[in-house]
Amino acid sequence: MTPAIEILGLIKNFNKTPILKGIDLIIPQGTFFGLLGPNGAGKSTTIHIIAGLTLKSQGTVKVFGYDVDTDYKHTRPLIGLAQQEFNLDRYLTLFDLLVYQGGLFGLRFSESKKRVEELLVRFGLWEHRLKKHQRLSGGLKRRAMIVKALIHQPKILILDEPTAGVDVELRLALWEYLKTLNKEGKTIVLTTHYLEEAKALCNEIAILHEGKILIHDTKEKVLENSRGDLHNYFISTPEVEAHA
Amino acid sequence: MLKFESISPSWISFGMLLRREIARFMIINRQTIFPQIITTTLYILIFGFSLGSQIKKIQGFSYIEFILPGLVLMSVITSSYNNASTFLFSARYDYSIQDVLLTPLSYLQMVVAFTLGSMIRGLIVGVLVLSTGVLLLKLKIFSIGIILLFLFLTSQIFVSFGLLVGLWADQWDDLWTFISYIVTPLIFLGGTFYSIHMLPYPWKWVSLFNPIFYMVNGFRYGIIGFHEFPIGLSLLILLTLGSALFCFTIYLFKIGYKLKT
Repeated sequence: MTPAIEILGLIKNFNKTPILKGIDLIIPQGTFFGLLGPNGAGKSTTIHIIAGLTLKSQGTVKVFGYDVDTDYKHTRPLIGLAQQEFNLDRYLTLFDLLVYQGGLFGLRFSESKKRVEELLVRFGLWEHRLKKHQRLSGGLKRRAMIVKALIHQPKILILDEPTAGVDVELRLALWEYLKTLNKEGKTIVLTTHYLEEAKALCNEIAILHEGKILIHDTKEKVLENSRGDLHNYFISTPEVEAHA
Repeated sequence: MLKFESISPSWISFGMLLRREIARFMIINRQTIFPQIITTTLYILIFGFSLGSQIKKIQGFSYIEFILPGLVLMSVITSSYNNASTFLFSARYDYSIQDVLLTPLSYLQMVVAFTLGSMIRGLIVGVLVLSTGVLLLKLKIFSIGIILLFLFLTSQIFVSFGLLVGLWADQWDDLWTFISYIVTPLIFLGGTFYSIHMLPYPWKWVSLFNPIFYMVNGFRYGIIGFHEFPIGLSLLILLTLGSALFCFTIYLFKIGYKLKT
């Protein structure tokens, strides 16, 4: 089966400073994949290259067999990206912003509207639909970012620290929703600083450190082989761990 | 007949981006449309009915008739430039441009949608300001076709300038630097308020290097039927400049200049 994401020899230099030093990574379809590592390891750079937001220096990146640079018209609709930083348009209400975003991926206005209504209800954002993003709390913005990534029903969902700054209750609710999406066949790529999040959600994990993949295996094997070392890369939140 | 169902997703994306760009400035129309009309009406009242009556005729036209085309173009230029530059810079600043870069839209489609969106604001302002002037001065228009052609070209050129500055700028100040130090002097030295025949020898020729001179020249011809330079040549110069700026903008989008790290 064609891998969901295939990365070969990926190098990224920024102002002559190497950020990614030759990454090889294959993510099979349907995987809940954790891309972990400390700050500055290159996680966000890697996912931005997959999504087409950052230019690579060398190597190839394919999504469902299509090259992200030459076949971007095929790859981009397959990817939904929820970024760590909030990048919601300041002029539009949440509802309009999401309807337009669906439209930008080729959904007809009525189709996009229907999808937005469904997702806003599902994520508890319906009552906030007429607010501009400046009036949304951090947790609501985080949910809005995930809705924005899901609007065009991508086959791959990439989440960059999706639960950073989110309260425990919402974090657990998001986990449940993400597990359901994964069971429905969506490939999910997650970057996180929370060990319990990776343990609860991922079935495959890669650890990125200083631009290189240190380990890439099933969750069980990574946890077993790395023993206590994993804690060097994570923030622990005991109140969530109790639920994991 | 084209059926709505037959429109490809790519064109739906393009249409939606254009619709979003128009919605963006229409939401704040008190800030984006109407101030220009008020400013130009004040210019007409002061230069036309107050100071203008003290100034002798230029090339057989009253002073306000002569400068009205330039006043309209000033509002088109500032609206077109401001819309394109502030939108693109703020979208880069708050990363909302990434919502567009993530989509399957081609770079050509992105630039065309951004250009048309800002041009529509420039053209709405231009038509409203011109209508106000024509009504106040009870003017008889010489050629609507020529007016629309030069309005369109002027708006497109300054939208492209706006997009280029919106890409290049690193801080908000950079957007105003371009308008204060380049556009405003070019407007005032481009024959907006005078005939270039009134200028002393070297300055008459210097004006020919100013693109705004050709815009005002063609637009003035469309409104009052008077021109100082051949219209066909003015059109050719503006078409060349507009195409070059448009192609350069597409190129910068394609290489991800200040859009992709």
